[in-house]
Amino acid sequence: MVGLAVFAVYPFIDVLALSFSKSSLGRPFQKWPVAANYLALARDETFRAALVRTMIFAIPVPLIEMTLGFSVALLLHSSLRGAGWIRGVILLPLMTPPMMVATAWKLILAPAGGLLDGVLLRTGLLDQPISFLGTMPWAFLSVAVADIWQWTPFVAILSYAALQGLPEDVVEAARVDGASSSNILWHITLPILAPTLLAILLLRVVIAFKLFDLVYGLTFGGPGFDTTVAAFQVWRTALAQFDIGLASAQTIIFAILVSLVTLPLTWLHRYSEAHAG
Amino acid sequence: MSLLRSMGLPGSLTRRRFLAGSAAAGAVAGLGPWGARAAPNLSGVTLNLMVIQPHVVGGRMVGEAFEKATGAKVNVIAVPNDQILEKVTLDVQSGANVFDVVDYWYGLLGAFAHDGMIVDVTDRIAKEIDGSAFLPILWDPYTLAEGKRWGLPYDGDSHVLFYNTEILGRHGLKPPETWDEYLATAKTVTEAQKGNGIFGTVMLGRKEPFQIGCSYANRLCGFGGAFLDANGKPLLDSDVSIASAQAMLDVAPYAFPTPLETGFEQGLPAFLSGKAAMIEFWTDLGVNAQDPKVSQIIDKWDVTQMPVGGSNTKHRASLNAGFGLAISAGSKNPDAAWELVKFGCSPAMNLSQMVTPGTGIDPVYKSTLESEQYKKAAPKVQAAAQQALNGALVWPNGAQAAKMLQGWADQLALVLDKSKTPEKAMRDTQAMWVELLGG
Repeated sequence: MVGLAVFAVYPFIDVLALSFSKSSLGRPFQKWPVAANYLALARDETFRAALVRTMIFAIPVPLIEMTLGFSVALLLHSSLRGAGWIRGVILLPLMTPPMMVATAWKLILAPAGGLLDGVLLRTGLLDQPISFLGTMPWAFLSVAVADIWQWTPFVAILSYAALQGLPEDVVEAARVDGASSSNILWHITLPILAPTLLAILLLRVVIAFKLFDLVYGLTFGGPGFDTTVAAFQVWRTALAQFDIGLASAQTIIFAILVSLVTLPLTWLHRYSEAHAG
Repeated sequence: MSLLRSMGLPGSLTRRRFLAGSAAAGAVAGLGPWGARAAPNLSGVTLNLMVIQPHVVGGRMVGEAFEKATGAKVNVIAVPNDQILEKVTLDVQSGANVFDVVDYWYGLLGAFAHDGMIVDVTDRIAKEIDGSAFLPILWDPYTLAEGKRWGLPYDGDSHVLFYNTEILGRHGLKPPETWDEYLATAKTVTEAQKGNGIFGTVMLGRKEPFQIGCSYANRLCGFGGAFLDANGKPLLDSDVSIASAQAMLDVAPYAFPTPLETGFEQGLPAFLSGKAAMIEFWTDLGVNAQDPKVSQIIDKWDVTQMPVGGSNTKHRASLNAGFGLAISAGSKNPDAAWELVKFGCSPAMNLSQMVTPGTGIDPVYKSTLESEQYKKAAPKVQAAAQQALNGALVWPNGAQAAKMLQGWADQLALVLDKSKTPEKAMRDTQAMWVELLGG
């Protein structure tokens, strides 16, 4: 209980109180303008757009990662030759520090001297370089691609671990009964693994909502505000503009949004656990 | 601001040049700010000097010379230049109190002072410092906030226009005198040589005040504008303010691709490798452009004042960036920290750093700006810096400046992104500034 109070309740109350105050980084709680920060947010198109953009990112991107990651896990599970070293290699993106991931992709996507533009120009697919990080929709897609590259291995490894726990006798019995691989996948594997896969998806959605480092390193929220997601906007307000009161209000609104979006996933997870197998 | 960070080569300059710089700083150790008096004995005292990353080499010079002079131990701690206030505030608020001396951007001076993160040194300055020795344009903006003095000028930054003589010569072009000529020059070079990877200009357009803000401020000066009027009222919806944003938008298609992605890290290597004909940059680039370790344009560059525009005919520079040293509110030894502030900002140390490549330090004294050593080390730049620092445009630096400048940088990015017209963006900036300044 003490731990919960120290690590969860106190920070929440602090952020909540800050959100109703005029606070700078150095001088918190200067005034209590009550709802001024929330009223300012209601008028703030930039923050609203950042929330929408976050949802556009945080829902489809984890779904793509789930699809790719689970497919890789199935391949590894099906006694693929060299699966051992492949498991090691695919973990590399996950183990790379996020700012290094951003730096690597920035070098790949740079319009002058970038690897991708260079290849496309040399092969004649382009006659002039594309500014992948400076124009839309490329900038948003680039962040998504880098995120998928970084996090798909996470999904793959967890899914692979889940597949290892699949009861072999059930699968064997289905095979003996003449079930095809696709039938086994849809009617045995996925139903049994659903609670685990939904837990992985939930985890990824929550992490994707908090996207910050790739945006910071790749686009700095640009071009314009086109890749400014909520976490990046909160950071800017707090640590570039030093308006801690407003940043706290943004954090509260953002937390409510994340809760609302992930609530159905949580219910689905509970339902699948209750009805698994 | 320094070439080091811009080049992404933090280590390449440090060893040999630092040793050379240290030798110069060793001479400074004997001079310091104490004149004929003996240097204070600070044996057993340890001081932590927080510097921005571009000032690491200069900070080490200060630290080493101060150690020799006083016997104190100085640890130089580098932080990213966009995280100064954050680091100091968290240090003081957490009670960690690691930093004794802080390398602050003058644009954040009001915020530092308002939040009580640095120590009021009004009385110390009145007793020990001759403020008139500093460049007059720097003295108040770098030290004065809320009616008190908080530190001493350390790095007097302003932009000048560097150009590649070989590229311009190839096209029969002269360095631009006006922003229209600048646009024409950039267009000519880019259209002719884009296929070879050579562009007419580099425009810093990354969405940070230090980057896109500097590009705008250069044009605002050129068009004869200002940020605030004499009463402190914002002027960003004036015709010249809008024209300045328009000038950025006009040149963007001919700049090193793409301006919104271009910060020091991308722009400077492009210029030093001969891939860009022009760049607006800090004066210390002139010392580094002759260095074979980082430059491929040795003796192929020159420098001139910022162009003028509209009906304005008077060249004027902007105080883009610029830093001072102050005592952190968390310092456990403010008296010793003050000695380090005075030492780091002394004329001898300023000159020593100005002529050492990689320090990122520019003149803050009239005497150092006009010194023979500086003229000898950077003859082209010295003349340009002398003109630039005469009556340069000061950026807002009150308690609200951080928010004002970030919001302004955002709006400029929207102009380059073509999400907003220059007129709309500047009017929105004006409205935001008026609100923040309580107008």
